[in-house]
Amino acid sequence: MLTLLKILQSLVRTLNSEGTPHQVAVGMALGACLGLTPLLNLHNLVMVAAIALLNVSVPGAVLGWLVTIPLGFLLDPVFDAVGRELLVDASGLTPLWTTIYNTPILSFANLNNSVVLGSLIGWALLALPLYAVARLGVARYRATIYPRIARWRVFQVIRASKLYNVYRLFQA
Amino acid sequence: MRHLVVFRWRAIVLVALLVLLLVVGWLVLLDTMVERGVERSGAYLVGARVDVQSADVRLGEGVVVLRGLQVTNPDAPMTNLLEAEEIVVDVRMAPLLERKVLLDTVALRGMRFGTPRGESGALDDMPPGSGRIHREIAQWAGAIRIPPLTLAGLRQAANLDAIQPESLKTVAEARASARLADSLVRRWDAELRALDPRPRIDSARALVGRLQTADPLRLGVSGMANLATSARGTLTEVQDLRARVGGLDSTALAQLTLARGRLDALAASRASDIAFGLSLLELPTLEGPQLSPAIFGDAVIAWVRPVLYWLRLAEEYLPPGLRPRRYAGADRVRGRGTTVLFPTERSDPRFLFGNGEASFVLAGSPNIAGEYRVHITGLTSDPALYGKPLALVAERAQATRGPASVKLAVVLNHVARPVRDSVDVVLREIGLPALDLRAIGARLLLGRGATELSVRRTGDQLSGRWTWRTTDASWERLAADTAQEVPSVGSRRWVEELLWRAVSGVRAVDLELQLSGDIRWPSLAVRSNVGEVVARALRQEVGREVERVERDVRERVDALTERGIARAHEGVDALQAKLTNEIASRLAELEALEAQLRDEIRKLSRRLPEGLPVP
Repeated sequence: MLTLLKILQSLVRTLNSEGTPHQVAVGMALGACLGLTPLLNLHNLVMVAAIALLNVSVPGAVLGWLVTIPLGFLLDPVFDAVGRELLVDASGLTPLWTTIYNTPILSFANLNNSVVLGSLIGWALLALPLYAVARLGVARYRATIYPRIARWRVFQVIRASKLYNVYRLFQA
Repeated sequence: MRHLVVFRWRAIVLVALLVLLLVVGWLVLLDTMVERGVERSGAYLVGARVDVQSADVRLGEGVVVLRGLQVTNPDAPMTNLLEAEEIVVDVRMAPLLERKVLLDTVALRGMRFGTPRGESGALDDMPPGSGRIHREIAQWAGAIRIPPLTLAGLRQAANLDAIQPESLKTVAEARASARLADSLVRRWDAELRALDPRPRIDSARALVGRLQTADPLRLGVSGMANLATSARGTLTEVQDLRARVGGLDSTALAQLTLARGRLDALAASRASDIAFGLSLLELPTLEGPQLSPAIFGDAVIAWVRPVLYWLRLAEEYLPPGLRPRRYAGADRVRGRGTTVLFPTERSDPRFLFGNGEASFVLAGSPNIAGEYRVHITGLTSDPALYGKPLALVAERAQATRGPASVKLAVVLNHVARPVRDSVDVVLREIGLPALDLRAIGARLLLGRGATELSVRRTGDQLSGRWTWRTTDASWERLAADTAQEVPSVGSRRWVEELLWRAVSGVRAVDLELQLSGDIRWPSLAVRSNVGEVVARALRQEVGREVERVERDVRERVDALTERGIARAHEGVDALQAKLTNEIASRLAELEALEAQLRDEIRKLSRRLPEGLPVP
């Protein structure tokens, strides 16, 4: 329950004031990678490092991750089909996959799996539109919806949580 | 204006800590991960549970130790296919970065086969693709029809009602023959009526009469010329008519031959009906070659299944060539997808145990217990990369009991297509297993003896021979019957008593099974002297009874088919009579008429004055 509360607080602060709409949107786009692709893979380790090191909104990334988890499950058959198309049917790409498969470390990226490859390609294609939509959405939200809900009592409770201090560590 | 900051430098420490945490976690959990990895991939490979008690990975030494390995037999989930107390593997570390497993040495200790399990090793949720080969072989085994060995038919002597006219081929074919003959008779009636040669024959006869009485002085030159022209025209007509009737005759003969052929085929149908009638009565075959599969069928299928399974498995996981290979992805919450492997000639194989010797001790089983030495070369997932066939030679270094010879030689050449495999196993002077022969209600304890297996595979074609020989066999009843009364002829107990008397004295047993054909669906042949012994006993004991039942069946079939066959004969005879009487007699009449006309024309020319030709 406490965790849920903290997530909600994070979400609210992110949408309201922490970070610019650009930072939140980039965070959401990067976080979407964690949700859209199978989590325990090498590229997601890189993605977590990128989210931590780049000046993007970490709660935004968490939001992007949480929102896209169900989407990832739903789109698995599509990712599988895309991955199979690239790995099996596109014979022109075989030399590329052969190189990746036989390269040290890179071979652990599981890019020879249809769902991993398909979902990574899917995320790469969706990242930019996701960024644009998120940036526009956050800006609109702050301008129109936030002033109204700021007066809600539940909103003030969430905002008062101590998690805010931890979150500050990631602010520029 | 606020300065744009791209990096959060303070987070580097956090990321470094995170990476460190992951590395430490990985190291702590490495043993468990290897344990689970072996269990999962083993289960995928075998199609049943694989358990590892513990794994110990020593990265510094490049050593992996697996303890308490149990591989469930997919055919018998309460039994282990094999069990090993300890397996010590030397692994090269650098190739692991490419996910390549290259082994230097393997040491096995405490190997046992066929040990009982504490709990079922069946998989609750079979991963897709896993156990496919096992299922296919089970399907093949299930489809093999083992002839039943039953004498129940001897009690059914009175139950001939099962043979009904509708089920007999002869009745249907005799009806068809009669129908064909009738329809041909009708057709020829119509044909001959349509041709109707009688008016032309009569007209030609009248002309012959005129020619015989023609007087040149009375008719004059022009009258003679007209008569001659008319005679020649009639001759042409008669010739044409004869040709047409002759044409009918050759067609008629072909159809008569067809009808006669169908009539002759009734004899074969009758034989087939008798065989069908006997099969309804479940009479036993009294031939040894047919009895051996009935007696040993189940046992030999159980022996052959693992041979086929391992050959197929070798094909699946040691595939020839360098084409990308597809497998089901790893088990996870998200979709498994398909994992494609991309071997290349410039890289190491995914798995390689290049050249090594291993020794292990087989304990537990009294049959083949002892110390074994194994020499193996080229065990690899990518034979095309390794470039040489897998060769495995195993022999017993020291037997636990008695002087025994155990040799195994396997060569799997999967470097290129077609794959060429050979498996040779020779086990001499060892304790052979016991076989439950349910068909004869007895257990055959083969005792000490020899078994030799030789299998060759080229592409999809398989040929194999497996022999078992012993002079030390003994027999046990599967279920001792204490009933005192004399069993009725043909009853299950009567049969078992009979067969028990036949086989219980047999000490020398030869059993041979042969495999041939496509490896996915091979055919199986079984031969044994036990089959001959049983056949002899059956002939002695029930030969007369079988003959009596066969006679009853023959009489029943004859009674049911007799009328139909007679009707078919009548029809064909009627057809023959029609063709012989009508067509042949008209043809003969036309031939005589034609000859007469020619003769009269010749005589007419002689009666004319010299120098005047017949027009």
